[in-house]
Amino acid sequence: MTVSAQTQITELRTDDHACLTFGESEELLDLTAAFVRDGLSCGCRVVWLSELPADQAIAELAKRGVAVEPALTAGHLTATASENHLLSGQAFTAGHAMQWLGAQVADCQDRSLAGLRVVMDMSWALRPITGVEQLPDFEVGMASVLSGMAVCTLCQYDRERFDPVTLASAAALHTRSVAAATYYQDAVLRICRQYAPPGLRLAGEIDYHAAEPLALAIAEAIRLDCDIVVNMADLTFIDGACIRMICTAATSLAWPRRVILRCPPVIADCFVRYGAAQVPSVRLAVIDER
Amino acid sequence: MSGDDGYRPRVPQTQLVVDQTFDGRSLYRVRATVAAHAAACGLSPRRSGDLVLAVHELAANAVQHGGGGGRLRIIKQRGELLCEVTDEGQGGPAAIAGAASHLAVAWRIERGHGLWLVRQLAEQTSVRTGPAGSAVTVSMGLDPASPLPPSHLFMVGGG
Repeated sequence: MTVSAQTQITELRTDDHACLTFGESEELLDLTAAFVRDGLSCGCRVVWLSELPADQAIAELAKRGVAVEPALTAGHLTATASENHLLSGQAFTAGHAMQWLGAQVADCQDRSLAGLRVVMDMSWALRPITGVEQLPDFEVGMASVLSGMAVCTLCQYDRERFDPVTLASAAALHTRSVAAATYYQDAVLRICRQYAPPGLRLAGEIDYHAAEPLALAIAEAIRLDCDIVVNMADLTFIDGACIRMICTAATSLAWPRRVILRCPPVIADCFVRYGAAQVPSVRLAVIDER
Repeated sequence: MSGDDGYRPRVPQTQLVVDQTFDGRSLYRVRATVAAHAAACGLSPRRSGDLVLAVHELAANAVQHGGGGGRLRIIKQRGELLCEVTDEGQGGPAAIAGAASHLAVAWRIERGHGLWLVRQLAEQTSVRTGPAGSAVTVSMGLDPASPLPPSHLFMVGGG
């Protein structure tokens, strides 16, 4: 198997007009948090047009290690809804959206910030919004007008809800295509890279059949010079072989690096039975059941 | 007219509720089957999870060391739920070592690791190996008042 050839979220730079397709909320929030984190660290202002309420959006960023408080205090971070920003009530016009975007750019220039990052969840286009047929015009306008203006835009499309034709045509209007690097995916299991915080994410059910892609995912995560998070929030089964692989990887890390196992109680129990709690480089972070 | 004439059907003491074959491609179905019956018998989510993992490890052993597949039988009898996994393989060194290593506590031991884990998860485990293959049975105690599995969950026959 191979890692996805699409652009990594961490590779996006100024002047990129990127299209992100996502399938699960964990994937969306992880990639968004990485985009926001990297933008703030470069001294950019970041605006996130999210489907989540603003306070929940900020909390999700904080949960993923983004330093939200200083950014909010300095006015470098905004999380808000598309309505009354990109949209005018329940109507969309390319002109209004470009005007709004232009105001964000002007604000950054006035404050002498390093640049602007705008991330837009396009799920509003699935609602009965008038003028949604102008969305392609807006995408094309962004690419041309913002070129050379220290702006990086990330348009997010839910691949579970947008039809393949729309996704394909949307992707074609962007300069970059972004998705989480995926090591394995079928109807039962998904193994992909996690970016905020760095590590890997397992969703579904995993057993020894997926040992090879799991080993590859672990090996690539270990190469990072930091703690590794194994996000198993959406994992409902793991067998002994995979538990053993993860624990073995943890014991190979040099102190003070750790492997943080983020998992529901049932999965945490499995690791505890295996003795993982006694491994110094393992930290179990049990999450609430949803 | 239906009415209460005092008739009560006899509840069998032992009930075979699942009898299905499996191979390496159907372990997901094995897990789902065990989970469904464990829940139907009133096992808690944690104990259901333990049973599912134990049966999976046995089934995976059968696939990898016991000839590529096996048979799962789930039996409900008064006070306990039994899951028996049989295969027709020789039960290679890994399986036999696991049967003897139930006292080993270090998780780094590779051989027979599946059976070591099974013994941690199940309340009772019995192992029979021989030239004709191996049979491992794990059981979980049930609340005496636990209901019979719904009839639509009964599956008898090859899978």
